Amino acid sequence: MSTSPLEHARGFLPIFWERVRSEQWRRGVALVLIVLACAFPLIDGNEGDLDAAANATAFATLALGLNIVVGFAGLLDLGYAAFFAIGAYTYGIFSSYQIQPEWSSFWEPFQWLGFVARMHTEGVPIDHVHFQVSFWLMLPVSAVVAAFFGIAFGAPTLRLKGDYLAIVTLGFGEIVPIVARNTPYLTNGAMGLNGALPPQLFGYNFGVKSLPFYYLGVALVVFLIFVSTRLKDSRIGRAWLAIREDEIAAEAMGVNRTKLKLLAFAVGAGFAGMTGTFYVAKLQTATPEMFTFPVSVMLLVMIVLGGTGSVAGVVVGALLLQLLQSWFLQDLTEWVHALGRFTSIGFLERIDLVQSIELIFGIILVLMMLYRRQGLIPERMAVAALTHAQQTAVPSRGSKVGEFKPLHSQTVDSKRPLLEIRGLSKAFGGIQAVKGLDLTVMPGSIVAVIGPNGSGKTTFFNLVTGLTRPDGGSVTLAGEDITGEGPHLIVEKGIARTFQNLRLFPNMTLMENVLVGTHTRTDTGALGAVLRTPHVRHQEAAARERVMEVLGIFGNRLMPRREHLAKTLSYANRRRLEIARAIITEPVLLLLDEPTAGMNPTETLELTDQIRGLRDRGISILLIEHKLNVVNEIAEKVIVLDHGEKIAEGSPAEVHRNEEVLRAYLGRTATAAVRAAAAS
Amino acid sequence: MPISDVQPRQPLERPPLLEFKGVDTYYGELHVLKGVNYRVGTGEIVCLLGGNASGKSTTMKTIFGIVRPKNGTVSYAGETINDLPTAERVKRGIAPVPEARRLFPRMTVRENLEMGAFCREDKAEIESDMDRVFELFPRVKERLSQTAGTLSGGEQQMVAMARALMARPSLLCMDEPSMGLSPLYVEQVFDLIQAINKQGTTIFMVEQNANMALSIASYGYVLQTGEVVLHGSAQSLRDNEMIQQAYLGEMKVQ
Amino acid sequence: MSVFDVLLQQVINGVSLGAMYALLALGFTMVYGIIELINFAHFNVFMVGSFIALWVFEAMGFSGQSQVLYGLPLFGVLLVGLVVVMLVTGFLGVAIERVALRPMRGFPGTAPMITTIGVSYILFNIILLTIGANTLNYANPMPNVRWEIGDATLRLREVLLWVVSFILMLGLHYFVRYTKMGKAMQATAQDQEAARMMGVDVDRVVVTAFFLGSALAGAAGMIFGLYYNYTSFIIGYTAGLRAFTAAVLGGIGNIPGAMLGGILIGLIESLGGQFLEVRWTDVIIFSILVLVLVFRPAGIFGRMAPSKS
Repeated sequence: MSTSPLEHARGFLPIFWERVRSEQWRRGVALVLIVLACAFPLIDGNEGDLDAAANATAFATLALGLNIVVGFAGLLDLGYAAFFAIGAYTYGIFSSYQIQPEWSSFWEPFQWLGFVARMHTEGVPIDHVHFQVSFWLMLPVSAVVAAFFGIAFGAPTLRLKGDYLAIVTLGFGEIVPIVARNTPYLTNGAMGLNGALPPQLFGYNFGVKSLPFYYLGVALVVFLIFVSTRLKDSRIGRAWLAIREDEIAAEAMGVNRTKLKLLAFAVGAGFAGMTGTFYVAKLQTATPEMFTFPVSVMLLVMIVLGGTGSVAGVVVGALLLQLLQSWFLQDLTEWVHALGRFTSIGFLERIDLVQSIELIFGIILVLMMLYRRQGLIPERMAVAALTHAQQTAVPSRGSKVGEFKPLHSQTVDSKRPLLEIRGLSKAFGGIQAVKGLDLTVMPGSIVAVIGPNGSGKTTFFNLVTGLTRPDGGSVTLAGEDITGEGPHLIVEKGIARTFQNLRLFPNMTLMENVLVGTHTRTDTGALGAVLRTPHVRHQEAAARERVMEVLGIFGNRLMPRREHLAKTLSYANRRRLEIARAIITEPVLLLLDEPTAGMNPTETLELTDQIRGLRDRGISILLIEHKLNVVNEIAEKVIVLDHGEKIAEGSPAEVHRNEEVLRAYLGRTATAAVRAAAAS
Repeated sequence: MPISDVQPRQPLERPPLLEFKGVDTYYGELHVLKGVNYRVGTGEIVCLLGGNASGKSTTMKTIFGIVRPKNGTVSYAGETINDLPTAERVKRGIAPVPEARRLFPRMTVRENLEMGAFCREDKAEIESDMDRVFELFPRVKERLSQTAGTLSGGEQQMVAMARALMARPSLLCMDEPSMGLSPLYVEQVFDLIQAINKQGTTIFMVEQNANMALSIASYGYVLQTGEVVLHGSAQSLRDNEMIQQAYLGEMKVQ
Repeated sequence: MSVFDVLLQQVINGVSLGAMYALLALGFTMVYGIIELINFAHFNVFMVGSFIALWVFEAMGFSGQSQVLYGLPLFGVLLVGLVVVMLVTGFLGVAIERVALRPMRGFPGTAPMITTIGVSYILFNIILLTIGANTLNYANPMPNVRWEIGDATLRLREVLLWVVSFILMLGLHYFVRYTKMGKAMQATAQDQEAARMMGVDVDRVVVTAFFLGSALAGAAGMIFGLYYNYTSFIIGYTAGLRAFTAAVLGGIGNIPGAMLGGILIGLIESLGGQFLEVRWTDVIIFSILVLVLVFRPAGIFGRMAPSKS
């Protein structure tokens, strides 16, 4: 079957975008844009335009910072301007006449370093300190200070649910300007700081000229775009994305939620702090009005307009809105007035668009949220669909056992129990979900957990993997007590799991989904992600290789689709993907929660084989299953749960003969069933 | 998957009360129900068996209009109801006993029962139905002013069934009535289902507990990955080897 | 004035403020209880309501506080004002839901809330651009009758406003607890899908909640104007913060909680303003908000809404 011309045409666009987004193209486009940006002042010599453009770069960097918090990590921050303020005032305090302590010998080393000057005023007996720390030094310092505040604000609040987090950040965002207004000692209150030092570069003083600030702003934007892009396409960026998609699943794959959320807040705050310094140096003043809620909202509108999560998008959004305000709005107002005169609509004649800018923001925000939530430049473009040949390829089973290295690198004592559970209990409200559970899993074995729905099987898994804290009892892994540890630590120790109701990261590709699983076994931090040292590049390449290996276990079912978004997968493939993601964390023990649910008998058989293969490669398996034929096939030991208690344990054959199991699991007693049959 | 060669179903004198013809339902990109066919005759108890993620819950949601099929028809009492809103379906006589009961936790038992009759206007009849319900479920009457969230699982199931009956339904759709209940309550619930059926209500029941379901049903469908892989009279399904292996685990009733 | 008298005066003020915040918080918490949406636009509907009431009174011939009425005519005028305001703001709320929020229903995360920020901005700026930034003197037909209790003063207007608020709150409580639609609202708030399966028209429930909530916000706006004798474009913001904190304090989604929370915040504001500098009041209220959300997000009475998992 050949593709029709229409299909050809429709297929063309995604392929075109694929090319555009390829590395080389992107570098080319970026280079052109940078050249244009540098040439701009030569093209348009107007000082006013240049000034507006310089201001616009500040908002572009702010948008980039907010994008890290909201777009990458999915944390809605409505008080982002607070960090902007902190950066601004930090520079202001250390470079202006605001704070003037009395001179003492304590200040001499700082004077020697050039951070302070000794001021003598006529008629005043004691000399004072004048702070004049270099702009270039304060740029990173204020970023660090703001980041510190990001962590301080974030630590107590980041565990809050999305909309509550937004409200709390809104609160912080309001408190900061109020504090600024009311502590004139530090900030000169509503009158604003005066006399912040402009930057000096090799003797050249920036003064109030727009040109040097413009180039500095462009440089900052380029630098922060670089940092953002590096972060996004790294272990850290993937972890953030995973948190945004599904926090719980991310944690269950080894991502330390708290640490990474704080990191996002800190990095975002750092961007804002840096921008604050830049902005104050340019305006040479800072007033509390510059950092109020409307500023935070404007930044939000910028990233929604441009494309939340998209680095290029938010820069475009920021520039559009800023330049709209400074360049176009005045002209637009004149056109609207003319239109009003032409159509005799009085309202149009009088309207002042410049003043209505906030109204315009509100309208843009609502329209974008309703009609184009992904923004002007969406974070992701559609990937080319599989070719017909690829779609109809005969599925092949995975490679033979024994061809690959073992799946984890821990040494396990085969004579001692791998997992020991004693007296595990958990109650929810008044209901005892799990009661006094004892279980031992020997290394290299497959143990099945069966029981009717609601008997506590998944709660049991949650207790072992740290998603739920037990009320009592202990969980020991290879002799180490892991009771009540958090999920990401448990992954580190070597227990991985899949979920009964599937918790994939739907808007990430298969490749990325599985890469998140490598989080525990890699250690690239934010700094490493940005610098991309050889060690980091090597780690990344090795991780990708391992992903290919693990995907290969499932033949060609997952491999050809590795650049596709997880949400496009069939049900059976989603189950396989979750298993792949769990395996790559190099577990010694794998907990599978109904892995064959939703699979037909052929697929079930295939997966049963693959599970056995996993055991042969060194992973012990604990398996919740409803399909008793699967259990009979691969389980060496079966435990039966009913109402949270273990009612039977033994080989599959032993369990089948057990009366209690029959009754509890399968229902009606023999006589009752016969009676019913006779009556019908 | 072979359709079983069990004894063919007796032709029905009246048209089926509920019928699915070639129904395809999707969740986003996921094809959850694949061309399924069901027939529930008036006065019957029909059960739908299947494991987790087989499409059982989606069947329920399709009956009530919470999800709409992409292809195929859902008909009730001879009329196609694909696009009928949920409230309309309830008014026409379909009542749910949802999975895990889903009572309104902070309302009293009486208020929950009243919610069951939400679509009805006839005050006097509602009162007499409530008396009838009290006869069937004496436990419910005892707990009338108690907050529903504080009842035990079994008691909640009773209230959920009573609540559904308050709609005076012709068709009662039950989603896993035995889930999470102790064996004692499971017995009681299935006895009650039979009693309700004897009083004239047709029952369509989704269950994982095949043994229980087949012991009171007259006909059954087996769902697997969204397809009906087997259907037949309850007796024939009980005797069917595949069912025995997959769902009854080779455990014969001695 | 003795300490007791000062305290009494501030309690009187606090209850008046609190009643207003309670009305505002009620509408807000009711919507949250049903669809788990933080509706920022609610507080600017309140602001719009105060202007609508002003125009109604002006249309009836009042301007400023010069003309005064007593007895039955006074009640009549207030009633007309209340009814008109509540109808207009009620429909405004319904329009907002229909146009901007229903398309976003069911979208995960904070997307719907962000939309309400946009709508709030639009309302705010429309008023600012058309009416300007000045505070407007309120057309107030209420007489300046007052009673002395020791050194504290109780004004007739305060009593009237307490009565109006109380009647409205009682009305809402009765509606939610005893009417069929009210029970449908409760059911939807406790389990939306189960309610749908009982045949409840969830869309209608949401529209009703928005209508009632916005109507109460409008009433609160009229009360604001009559109490303070002024209104301006910014009142949504300042009163909104307090009402929001009141809703959270009482347990978001919890209707009696919102009433109590409102009174508490009103008392905190007036007592706090007495003993601390007024400029710190905002910080105090915000701090309460942050502290409650961080340490006891369920509020005093616990949340009544199911949590988003």
